[in-house]
Amino acid sequence: MPKEMSDGELMVRVASGDEEAFRQLIERHQDRVYGTVARMMGGAGPEAEEVAQDVFLRVWRSAGQYRGDSKFTTWLMIVVRNLVFTRLGQRLRRKDIDGEDPVDPETGESLMENQSAQPGRGPAEALAYRELEKAVAEACAELPENQRLVVHLRQYEGMDLEEIVKITGMSLTAVKALMFRARESLKKKLSGYLTASK
Amino acid sequence: MEMKRSSEEGQEGLGPELEGLLAKAPPSKAPAWFAAKTLARLRQEKQEDQKTVSAWMKWRWVWAAGTAAVVAGWVLWNRPDPSVEISDAMVFAALDALVEQEEENRWWAGL
Repeated sequence: MPKEMSDGELMVRVASGDEEAFRQLIERHQDRVYGTVARMMGGAGPEAEEVAQDVFLRVWRSAGQYRGDSKFTTWLMIVVRNLVFTRLGQRLRRKDIDGEDPVDPETGESLMENQSAQPGRGPAEALAYRELEKAVAEACAELPENQRLVVHLRQYEGMDLEEIVKITGMSLTAVKALMFRARESLKKKLSGYLTASK
Repeated sequence: MEMKRSSEEGQEGLGPELEGLLAKAPPSKAPAWFAAKTLARLRQEKQEDQKTVSAWMKWRWVWAAGTAAVVAGWVLWNRPDPSVEISDAMVFAALDALVEQEEENRWWAGL
């Protein structure tokens, strides 16, 4: 198999049951999917991992339905959105939102701290970084689901508004309104860090 | 995950200040075992699907016999009752009685 196949080519192979192509597809998009799921679910951890796996298993089962009309990442993010919103709805029904970082059941350590990207830093800098990371994660987690998704897709996935419109199934005006509200809300919540970073 | 978008749009995006701050807290990366674990789950689910199919195949004669028994029972239950069958003789007798009654009525009416 050639090294660099396009997502569309990989999907054709996945649709015919090629596990190697599926592995390549997972490795190519796992950070994107896992990062989005983790941010939407309020943090990394076993639940986020399970949902991210569900996303790829759904991709495996639905590969035959992918026609290549839109970009693969757009299609993938629609799957992410559907599964995450379903899970958040179930979570809300169970009323088990506790707002705390998920913790490793064996070590008791925060999984968010373990799995986030932290390049080499000194202890004081790492502490400040961790604090900022936590504040941003909390500020994002407090946003309503749709605002959180729109901010994540725009900020971390670098998607343009047309792609976000396709993923969310909303109008351009509604997406812009969500973005505006999210910006105002984040500015308020992170005001301390905004002035400090100037 | 790359952050490739330019920050020039203040209205449609978050604005350069917030974008800079959020860029300092990138989303989590997938754990190293993620792909292997997902593939293992896929294989496990495939195996379970296979087991379900083979269980159906194994018991297919039982299912077929059960279905046939239910269908036969339904047919027997709904078949017409032979005890309420009306013979030709009974029909002719009833017609004769009607004609006789009619003639009697006409005699009383003086017709």
